[in-house]
Amino acid sequence: MAKPKIAICWLGSCGGCDEAVVDMNEVLLRVAAAVDIILWPVAMDFKYDSLKGMKNGEIALSLVNGHVRNSEQEEIAKLLREKSQLILAFGSCACLGGTPGLANLTTKEDIFSWVYRDAPTVVNPNGNYPQTTSSVNGKVLTLPEFYDRVYALNDVIDVDYYLPGCPPPPYSVMYAVSAVLEDKLPPKGSILAPHRALCDSCKRNQSKPDKISIKEIRRIHEVEADPDTCFLAQGIICLGPATRDGCGEACMSINMPCRGCFGPVEGVEDSGAKFISAMASILDAESDEEVATVVNQFVDPVGYLYRFSVPASMLQKKRVEK
Amino acid sequence: MSEYKPKLVCFSCKFSWGYLRDEDTLSSKIDNWMPLICTGKIDATHMLEAFKAGADGILILGCPEGDCHYQDGNYEAKKRVYLVRRLLESVGIEKERIRIELSRDPEGNRIPRLVEEMRQELAKLGPLKKGSMIEKKPKETIKARGGK
Repeated sequence: MAKPKIAICWLGSCGGCDEAVVDMNEVLLRVAAAVDIILWPVAMDFKYDSLKGMKNGEIALSLVNGHVRNSEQEEIAKLLREKSQLILAFGSCACLGGTPGLANLTTKEDIFSWVYRDAPTVVNPNGNYPQTTSSVNGKVLTLPEFYDRVYALNDVIDVDYYLPGCPPPPYSVMYAVSAVLEDKLPPKGSILAPHRALCDSCKRNQSKPDKISIKEIRRIHEVEADPDTCFLAQGIICLGPATRDGCGEACMSINMPCRGCFGPVEGVEDSGAKFISAMASILDAESDEEVATVVNQFVDPVGYLYRFSVPASMLQKKRVEK
Repeated sequence: MSEYKPKLVCFSCKFSWGYLRDEDTLSSKIDNWMPLICTGKIDATHMLEAFKAGADGILILGCPEGDCHYQDGNYEAKKRVYLVRRLLESVGIEKERIRIELSRDPEGNRIPRLVEEMRQELAKLGPLKKGSMIEKKPKETIKARGGK
């Protein structure tokens, strides 16, 4: 029997998700023996053209990481969808838009102005900006079109499974790949991580007082956080209550609060809004002045609460006058 | 612009607002009115959802300070409003579009007045800026979903 074909591909990505695949270590060798990796741009030499030559549905599984912000990424995503039986949105960028999704809080025009004109290190006397087509010595050159905003993968193609995380921990990658190989797949659309919130498995949960009450919001770099006590009880914003479990508490174990890379818990669309509701109940403030004071201590709420999820959240992007 | 009539959603707690009046009579005077039991029930998600559904503003009427039947639901609502305002400002939505008043009016006569007052203020702000929340996916990609 022919080995199942697998593609691993990056769109708008930092490479961390590909690194997570490599982090499977020796297990990767066993996986590589059981499957045929037909595309993995970061690690192996394959051409997109050979992908185009394949039959529809010929690839058993495509692990797609990264967000979609330009026409090239969209084209590759659609090509993989056509050729694959299953698409796994791999990592927070593919699932939720990821940290690049924070770019939705500014506009395409502002990004271009800064990168090609205003940044102090830019020298661009002719005011050149990237064009989708340009003529040089009679030859036409093309570049992908840069879209107005960042999209999560399921904004562009149909996605079968989701594996969040920045990056997904190696054991969950193994779980996902073996589920496909052994044909033990959950219902389509499932997120391959626990349904509960991170607080449920956090060891610090036992240190949590009956009622958390904070008068002052503190930032992690401003204080020496106790390594065993609930961050929220220390006045440090930790997104554990509104974030899906499954990361293996990587941040907690190095004394950093949860930043929300696993996205919302099951059934929740917008984890930032849910966190706001939870946070309101632990802020110890009553009068307008008290509330305003403590709320204004929260530096960059949208960046903090939606660090990985602006495109998939209800906010989606900054509103500008049109 | 003169025809523009802002859409406003009004949530009010039944413990302090309009409980002496027949709800049907009162609701005929107020568009998009949501009487509920305790403003502490209003999740930040509901507030964002209202804007996503096309509201230009939200008015929340809760019980007077120290008078919540459930101890602190009205304070919870107030804190959520302050936090949501900061979120909205970051995405270019004016904070004046969401207002909370903690007071009491058993007859509920003030509700339509407060709604009208806020509506006039919203009219000065104009409609919510276009370009997000509602328009999630570009048309061509919707058509192409699932390779169809």
